[in-house]
Amino acid sequence: MITIDGSQGEGGGQILRSALALSLVTGKPFCIENIRARRKKPGLMRQHLTAVNAAVEVGKAAVSGNSIGSSRITFAPTGLSSGQYHFAVGTAGSCTLVLQTVLPALIVADDPSEIVLEGGTHNAAAPPFDFLAGSFLPLLNQMGPSVKAALERPGFYPAGGGRIRVKITPSRKLTPLHLLQRGGIVDRSARAIVARLPYSIADREIAVVKEKLAWDADCLRSVEVPDSSGPGNALVITVASEQVTEIFTGFGESGVSAETVADRAVREAQEYLASDAPVGRHLADQLLLPLALAGAGSFRTLSPTAHTTTNIEVLRYFLDLDLKVKQQDEQTWLVSIDGKPPLVGSRAYSSL
Amino acid sequence: MNKNVVIGLLGPVLDSGKEPKRWERWRPTVSVCQHEELLVHRFDLIYQRRYASLLKSVIADIRQVSPETEVVPHCIEFRDPWDFEEVFAALHDFARGYAFDTEQETYLVHITTGTHVAQICMFLLTEAHYFPAKLIQTGPTNQPEQKVAGNYTIIDLDLSKYDRIATRFNQEKRDDISFLKSGIETRSPRFNALIEQIERVAINSVDPILLMGPTGAGKSQLARRIFELKKARRQVSGLFVEVNCATLRGDGAMSALFGHRRGAFTGAIQDRHGLLQSADKGMLFLDEIGELGLDEQAMLLRAIEEHRFLPIGSDTEAQSDFQLLCGTNRDLGQEVAKGRFRGDLLARINLWTFCLPGLAERTEDIEPNLEYELECFAEKNGNRVSFNQQAKRRFLAFAIGPEARWSANFRDLNGAVKRMATLAPAGRITVEVVEEEIQRLRNSWRDKADDPGRSLLREVLGEESAAELDSFEQVQLAEVVRVCRSVATLSGAGRKLFSVSRQGKKSSNDADRLRKYLARFNLDWDRVRQGSIMS
Repeated sequence: MITIDGSQGEGGGQILRSALALSLVTGKPFCIENIRARRKKPGLMRQHLTAVNAAVEVGKAAVSGNSIGSSRITFAPTGLSSGQYHFAVGTAGSCTLVLQTVLPALIVADDPSEIVLEGGTHNAAAPPFDFLAGSFLPLLNQMGPSVKAALERPGFYPAGGGRIRVKITPSRKLTPLHLLQRGGIVDRSARAIVARLPYSIADREIAVVKEKLAWDADCLRSVEVPDSSGPGNALVITVASEQVTEIFTGFGESGVSAETVADRAVREAQEYLASDAPVGRHLADQLLLPLALAGAGSFRTLSPTAHTTTNIEVLRYFLDLDLKVKQQDEQTWLVSIDGKPPLVGSRAYSSL
Repeated sequence: MNKNVVIGLLGPVLDSGKEPKRWERWRPTVSVCQHEELLVHRFDLIYQRRYASLLKSVIADIRQVSPETEVVPHCIEFRDPWDFEEVFAALHDFARGYAFDTEQETYLVHITTGTHVAQICMFLLTEAHYFPAKLIQTGPTNQPEQKVAGNYTIIDLDLSKYDRIATRFNQEKRDDISFLKSGIETRSPRFNALIEQIERVAINSVDPILLMGPTGAGKSQLARRIFELKKARRQVSGLFVEVNCATLRGDGAMSALFGHRRGAFTGAIQDRHGLLQSADKGMLFLDEIGELGLDEQAMLLRAIEEHRFLPIGSDTEAQSDFQLLCGTNRDLGQEVAKGRFRGDLLARINLWTFCLPGLAERTEDIEPNLEYELECFAEKNGNRVSFNQQAKRRFLAFAIGPEARWSANFRDLNGAVKRMATLAPAGRITVEVVEEEIQRLRNSWRDKADDPGRSLLREVLGEESAAELDSFEQVQLAEVVRVCRSVATLSGAGRKLFSVSRQGKKSSNDADRLRKYLARFNLDWDRVRQGSIMS
């Protein structure tokens, strides 16, 4: 059985989620030890447990160690079941991270699925809904499946209460994706979202974007979302190019000024714009797995993060991969996968 | 893994809030469900009907931040939520009616919400195990990222789980035990175990305690120590009243114990508070309780059971609430059988019976007690006296040897130390002083010896020679001496002593045989007849 040391690399929940996703796709059982061993509160937290339990449902899996604080789980899926799912994440935890765990399996499944996710839709340290819908899913859809996500209600920490509906039409075969050039920028915009908070917070963030990025006023907007149950704020900066749309997000936090929130997002956007890499850091993370499942593909990106290298490590546990990460120049790196598509979905399960 | 079940009260103030702004504030009940590492499977939420709408919104909010949690509302009405009796009764009923399943579920009682009275009741019910639960206490924090969820502490009232508290308790217990032993580092495992038990009982019980043991074993001293320990723990506020029942014989006994009214009898010139009255809220130590008269026993029984008694000549009962300690060196069971002690009184006082061993059974404790007695002497006389090494060795060798009977136990040891310390030249107890003391102790124990044979031997052999005999020889020689003194001649004595063996012989010289036997002890006919040459 595949045994993964959960404390390696990034050492957090990402290893667990990637492993669960890959196990579901390939049907290979695994065991992960030292889960989040070096974190302040080690072991499984509630949002991780929700991800594990979601994966158990989708993969009809046998599982052990799925309890709060557990440092070791074993997971053995028995078959993919598509269909209707409803996953609710506690403590306003991120919906998109749970989706990340089950989505790869459902896009290569035999039948369509519909997932309703409840919890946080705009969480710090997680891909926000806007990134999912505007940046990642369009690229994923180019590879064959059709995944449509709708934000039915935003949810922010700590109140949560957000809802995302995701409709998946799978594709049994994934087309390789190559993203080597960005192409010309076709659109740029910044939206500052506030919910149940003063509008001025949004305006102050927009002012920072206007000053630092020097973009036209007509592509900057402050938006108030009325249907959030609790207070929240996010700044979403979008750079749409011919080949790819990149999205950078800042999240309002208690005790952090609007200017600082905006600054963080702007700096990310600036770094991206200063290079000619088509794929930003977060997107690079998300693309690795679909490309590996397609068996081939490539993209140019910025210097890899701990998340990215950890993801690659986990991929290698489950797939026989010819994956290369090569620095091209001072700012850009080339990630390429070259090989045959692995067995995935029901064919993978029946071959085991 | 067990399921976590939180039991708590809806807080009308702290849990309130309907505006979106409520999400910027710490609300205890919701906050319990907002922690990443604490999964609440069920929340049993106690509420009052008038807060039903708040209940509804709190349930909705919990569902939002904690879809894993099932909230089960329980309506309990308090007419006055500040009335201790009412709140306690209602929560007590709730706890008793709750189907706890500790095999499957772990219970946490949330004590941050509700009136202070309700919180105290929840605490008490948890402490008394009506809620087989740990406590969970929640509170706000200043950390911005934790502002809303706040923090929480889980408290297990089983204090033995807390190292530092346990250490404190153990230290206190060690101190108490040491206190009961007057600080003497006793080594006898039996005695130490006994004192440990007494400590536990003394701290936790107000029932009578019966101390058994031979005279001088330290019953009275221990009784006083128990009282002082309880006083230090503020468990008694009254006096320690001690009386030896052997001194209570006759007409005065009733009056001394229970008091009398003026004019109750001739000589009762004024009211007298009895000893029981004096011991109110304190402790009454009745030493030698076996000596108490039957009438007094009857009165005493009622006084123990009802804390009431009738002073002599009084129409109204007096009240006194005291803890009774009794001492005895008799077998009270036998006294009951002989009709000298009331069986019902014995049954009442021997719930906690402790048998103090005599000093001869605790030879390993003689040395520490010797040091203690010297300390006491120094304290009392302002004169520090010590043994020289050889003297101490000599004394201890004697003290723990078979010869030392310690028939009056600590009274003997105390007397020996007092005498040696007083006679010690220049504050040093020398071998000579020790030798003299050993002799004195021997004499005092010998005088008490009830064996006529031994005194007979002392008479003819002198003390020292007599002490050197094995008991095998002692018995034989004592009988020989007794026979010699009962007949007129050596031959007559011989005939009597060898009456069986001489029958099988044609001729025998019994007189010679006896003479030779006596010679082995340096004795002859005249000496045996006249008594000792040495005394």
